[in-house]
Amino acid sequence: MEVLIRVEGLFKNFGSVRALNNVSFEIFQNEVVGLVGDNGAGKSTLIKILSGNFPPDKGDIYLNGLKVNFKSPINAKKMGIETVYQDLSLCSNLDTVSNLFIGREITKNFTGFKILQKRKMESRTAEIMKKIGINIPSLKERVEFLSGGERQAVALGRFVAWGQNLALLDEPTAALGIRETRKVLELILQIKKEKKDLSIIIVSHNLQHVFEIADRIIVLRHGSIVGIRDKSSTTPEEIVGLITGAISIKK
Amino acid sequence: MEIAVNSERTKRFARGILNNVVWLILILCIIIFSSSIDGYFSIRNYINILSNSAFIGILAIAESYCLISGNLDLSIESVAGYSSIFSAWLTGTSVSSSGLNINPYLTLVLCLVIGIIVGFINSYLILKFKINSFLVTLSTYIIVKGLAITLTRGAGVSMLPGSFRLVETIKIFNISLIPIIMIVIYIIFHFILQNTQFGAHIFIIGGNINAAYSFGVNVKSVIIRVFILSGALSALSGWLMTAKANGANPTMASGMLFEVLAAVVLGGVSLQGGVGSLLGVFAGVLLLSSIRSALNIMAISPFITEVIRGLLVLFAILVDSIKRLFFK
Repeated sequence: MEVLIRVEGLFKNFGSVRALNNVSFEIFQNEVVGLVGDNGAGKSTLIKILSGNFPPDKGDIYLNGLKVNFKSPINAKKMGIETVYQDLSLCSNLDTVSNLFIGREITKNFTGFKILQKRKMESRTAEIMKKIGINIPSLKERVEFLSGGERQAVALGRFVAWGQNLALLDEPTAALGIRETRKVLELILQIKKEKKDLSIIIVSHNLQHVFEIADRIIVLRHGSIVGIRDKSSTTPEEIVGLITGAISIKK
Repeated sequence: MEIAVNSERTKRFARGILNNVVWLILILCIIIFSSSIDGYFSIRNYINILSNSAFIGILAIAESYCLISGNLDLSIESVAGYSSIFSAWLTGTSVSSSGLNINPYLTLVLCLVIGIIVGFINSYLILKFKINSFLVTLSTYIIVKGLAITLTRGAGVSMLPGSFRLVETIKIFNISLIPIIMIVIYIIFHFILQNTQFGAHIFIIGGNINAAYSFGVNVKSVIIRVFILSGALSALSGWLMTAKANGANPTMASGMLFEVLAAVVLGGVSLQGGVGSLLGVFAGVLLLSSIRSALNIMAISPFITEVIRGLLVLFAILVDSIKRLFFK
């Protein structure tokens, strides 16, 4: 398997607090990786560095073998790294079609006016929603009137439509009910199957969910990586042990 | 709050009705007024209702664009007022005019340029210093209003060239060009809002400005264009006022701001941004105009008119809240 992203020796301090301490790992192509750890373990810091919100104090990030230096989230986006923070990135006043095409509307130039190609955008949206097996009652319904799971599906639908390289999902199921969570997990697996050029890092507190969808699990504790495990060769008990420090790694 | 709403379909149906409630009210009002008020039911009166709504109507387009983008433009009224007195001052021959005798259609261009400049300044201040649009446009509202009064030291200007009045004197089926111009502008701006990328971006920015930024929408450019359009439309509205009145005074557009806001809210534009349609706004404008006409014909005190208008706005706001509370 080819390495998509390689992180080498990341350090990040906030004042005297060491948020990340010599973090190194690799993410392979078309892989789902669960990122777990207790509160304050450094998960959010790591996600924010990868999505370009702030730079590390020390350390390098390589994307497809090339060193990258993100100055802003837009920078990271251009490199094909997208982040979903629950459903905060949706426009609740707009319908599914408009949400999927924010900033990428299909237009035709007519004497200087960029006329929306609504039909094309609609059929493309229907195609994408069908691909990921989500049935939204009406694509022209405002997103605010959809259920939490459907909204999350719209947010994830963007990866299917536009995603390449890396998707960072920060607690994608935190605000959802049981049935909707199930749907979103299935959706993530479906996206993995459909998008061979996309890898996914998912941050979650729910180990059961992580075990369902991740290929590998990275455990952070006090800013350091205390374990990287293949799902097939570990157990939830071992992961909990690593998270809480009950199983300590030998230095 | 919860009410028993059975199926998705009933919900959507109810929302559809609430979204277009202003048209229902407008039709009801016209039917009731026409059948119960002597002299209301006549083509001439209907043409009057349309003609009298032109200035408010054009200003309402400007305000709708701003509100949907999540901003507020209070300066529309004073830009219209300034444009009105400025064009009269340049073309008129009465005592307080400039005596320059400038071609009225050149003054239209000058007025549009002034509107565009004010709009640009508004957007520049909002974007550059990240000031709330309410505060920025409140300042420009006062400044431009002051400039209008300063221009003629508060005096009115009359005796304009006949060519200025062409938009009022040329009639098609007894309707002057002014309301026709308004309708054409409504069609164009409705199309822009619903069918162009610019329109789509206005809705995106009004709905979630952070999403707009992070998905690469050029927020600054869109906001600047919205305010420039708002300034230009306001200036046009003021110029048309002068053409119709065959003269102007510095307080020509006074009080129109609140009437515009009333029409826009009645028309279903959300004050929180991101929601609205010019079809609804047009109905809101006509509704206010038809009520004004009814009260006029019945010779009811103008003070009561204000109360009724206020109640209508309250009603519109309640409809908006009902939509959000019950049909979530």
